[in-house]
Amino acid sequence: MTYLIRSLGRSLVAYVVVAGLWITASSLIPGFGVFAHLRYIVELGAIIGFAAIGQTLTVIGGGIDLSVSAVITVAAILLPMLSFAPDTTGLGAIALTLLVASGIGAVNGLGIGYLGLPPLIMTLAMATILQGVLVLIAGGSAISVDNAALTWLGASHAVGISATIILWALAAAATLFWLHGTRSGALIYAVGTNPEVSRLSGVPVQRVTLWLYVAAGLCAGIAGLLLLAMNGQGYVGIGDPYLLSSIAAVVLGGTSILGGQGTYLGTIAGAVLLVTMTALITVINASEGWRSMILGCLILGLLPLSGRDRSR
Amino acid sequence: MILGARAVSKAFFGNPVLRDVSIELLPGRIHALLGENGAGKSTLINLLSGTLAPDRGALVTDGRSVPALSPRDARRLGIAVVQQELSLAPHLSIAENIGLGVAPRRFGLVDYRRLATLVAEVSAQVGLTEPPHTPVGKLPLGRRQVVEIAKALARRPRVLILDEPTSSLAAPDVSMLLALVQRLRAQGVAILYISHRLNEIFGFCEHVTVLKDGTVTADRPLAGLDPLGLVRLMVGRDPQDLFPAYRSTASEEVVLQADEFRTVGAAGVDVTLRRGEILGIGGLVGHGQEAFLLGLGGAVPARAARFQIRTAEHVRTAPFASVAQANAAGIAYIPADRKKEGLLLPHPIAFNLLLPSFAHDRMRRRRRAQERTITQALAQRFGIRGDLLRPVQALSGGNQQKVALAKWMPLAPAILLLNDPTRGVDVDTKREIYLALRAMAAEGKAVVLLSTDTPELVHLCDRVMVFHNGRVATTLAHSDATEEAIVAAALGLPEHASMTEAAA
Repeated sequence: MTYLIRSLGRSLVAYVVVAGLWITASSLIPGFGVFAHLRYIVELGAIIGFAAIGQTLTVIGGGIDLSVSAVITVAAILLPMLSFAPDTTGLGAIALTLLVASGIGAVNGLGIGYLGLPPLIMTLAMATILQGVLVLIAGGSAISVDNAALTWLGASHAVGISATIILWALAAAATLFWLHGTRSGALIYAVGTNPEVSRLSGVPVQRVTLWLYVAAGLCAGIAGLLLLAMNGQGYVGIGDPYLLSSIAAVVLGGTSILGGQGTYLGTIAGAVLLVTMTALITVINASEGWRSMILGCLILGLLPLSGRDRSR
Repeated sequence: MILGARAVSKAFFGNPVLRDVSIELLPGRIHALLGENGAGKSTLINLLSGTLAPDRGALVTDGRSVPALSPRDARRLGIAVVQQELSLAPHLSIAENIGLGVAPRRFGLVDYRRLATLVAEVSAQVGLTEPPHTPVGKLPLGRRQVVEIAKALARRPRVLILDEPTSSLAAPDVSMLLALVQRLRAQGVAILYISHRLNEIFGFCEHVTVLKDGTVTADRPLAGLDPLGLVRLMVGRDPQDLFPAYRSTASEEVVLQADEFRTVGAAGVDVTLRRGEILGIGGLVGHGQEAFLLGLGGAVPARAARFQIRTAEHVRTAPFASVAQANAAGIAYIPADRKKEGLLLPHPIAFNLLLPSFAHDRMRRRRRAQERTITQALAQRFGIRGDLLRPVQALSGGNQQKVALAKWMPLAPAILLLNDPTRGVDVDTKREIYLALRAMAAEGKAVVLLSTDTPELVHLCDRVMVFHNGRVATTLAHSDATEEAIVAAALGLPEHASMTEAAA
């Protein structure tokens, strides 16, 4: 637990900003501070949060994943097309979809880890190829989902908290455990700091990289399913907003874009911060333009704060 | 005197590299500069060519004394350097490289027609027959060296400094260079010639300055000296109390045997390694020693006609495909470049100490309490003081080296491969490292010590393998491993020369 608190240091800024925004908004805007509304914000944050698990992992590992939005869209379009009769629960289709998403991540990981392609190029190429495939398969039409498990997921609650949030909490715990509680998680930081030192220290750099991108694919796949559950339909372009917001969540959370430093704990706050901003803009009925401008300034403003903490 | 230095001193980060060094270059004289790796030759060249400024002392040009030269001064004075590490731009053509900085201009643009004339002129002098528009990156290494010489000539030098110009030249080009140098001397050019090839020194040069640990040990005409006399001037020093008394702990038990081991840069190496032994690896930089060590440690691909390793519970018959594999078989490689290869600089000392253990056995939870016990024990054993949660970059070079060595101990390697472990390390830490190496050998580990510091090979090692041109030139037993013998073998002198010397 102590290491979590210590690593919280640089992500603390994001939590402070979120808390400040919530308190201010709750006192000024009637209805903002209501439990149901805050829950809704966190629920929206879960989708960014899932996409940003992969982004956090790859960034800490010295890379980046530009194919998250494409994988989200793939999952949201693939699942409705995979419904087959014997699979009454819909779990089979979900498993298959996630397998495909992980497979896409594996291709990324093979290209980056084993062929030495730059992560930026590899994942950008992958995203572009997937976009093309999606247009060919789905065209411009939206595909409605009929999956029992997914419907259940979208509707279930436990003690007033939706299944989506519970799922995110579990995934966040698993991610944090991997990063801070296991030896293989420590190797991610090593690879992201200096792959050559890592290699000469006996770290299987290629394998670590492969698994990072597999995890990123899987998490983007889950994000796609959650988005589909919320939307009811999948269509080309459904995942597009999540590429930049996943990177923004990582950066706002204090993870170094240069790799080797950071934690998912900060990304969680980053994701919630992003959706809070959207909610605020919606509530005060300002234009989307304002949201983007304020967000951009926040990213710039928070960067030196978390950076100063790091260079201590 | 065209160019000279008077009592110059230079230190890097508090380590003196040159101390009160004087040298005089005269027109029409070929002056040899000799010294071991790290003796300060490159630094002296950099001072003379305006790349570095001395801390103390003065430079003399045409009889005028100045505290330092700028690169622009050097160019104005006609000082040209043929670099050992090539300074050519690979994507530019031969002509453009030769013309860099001296190209004739018209209206602010390069006048390619006049450049072509200049290039044709110098190319003829050095026997450069390739089309001038060929990109330099397409040329083999030896031909690039010829371009480098042509580039220096295009500056119409009055002083020409040649820093190991023949290290990558083919034989015909060496005779070309000899002829060229003679011709330039006749024209009154002052030439400073740096080479490890003693036959060239005796073939080309009239006067010699020998550097040893940053001081001049000889400044005299070459006449009356023989190769071994020169070698003695390069290494002559008393071994101080730096080294622990020699006591062999080598056993008869072979832990590693390889026949005709080969890797990129080294070939045909036969090696036998015994428990408790310290095997020294010597040679001039870049003659295959490092490649051999990297190959043995699984860091670069390697092959062998026969390969056998018998550490704790491992029997293996092929070289390793990865560092991880080598680690698993009980081999640890400690790189020379701590900052780029040995340590994760921004991470805590403790994390660095644990990294090989994490990599070796990675499917486990972290146990912080247990980790703390391990790192504290390591820190105590190696004398690493202070908070272990500080980033390792906060430590001095010597302490960083201790971390780079200590981090392998939890794996209990049976074979340690050390690449120049005392480079850039202060004297006290050097001694600590020597004691640690002897202690590890006494524990029954086999230690392979690559060193560019010849006295280490003499005083610590049970045997010394000396590399020359990617092969083992000779293997010397402790009793035969004198500095003279090691340096002579590294220079490629025939073995019997040192033997007869020892008998005399």
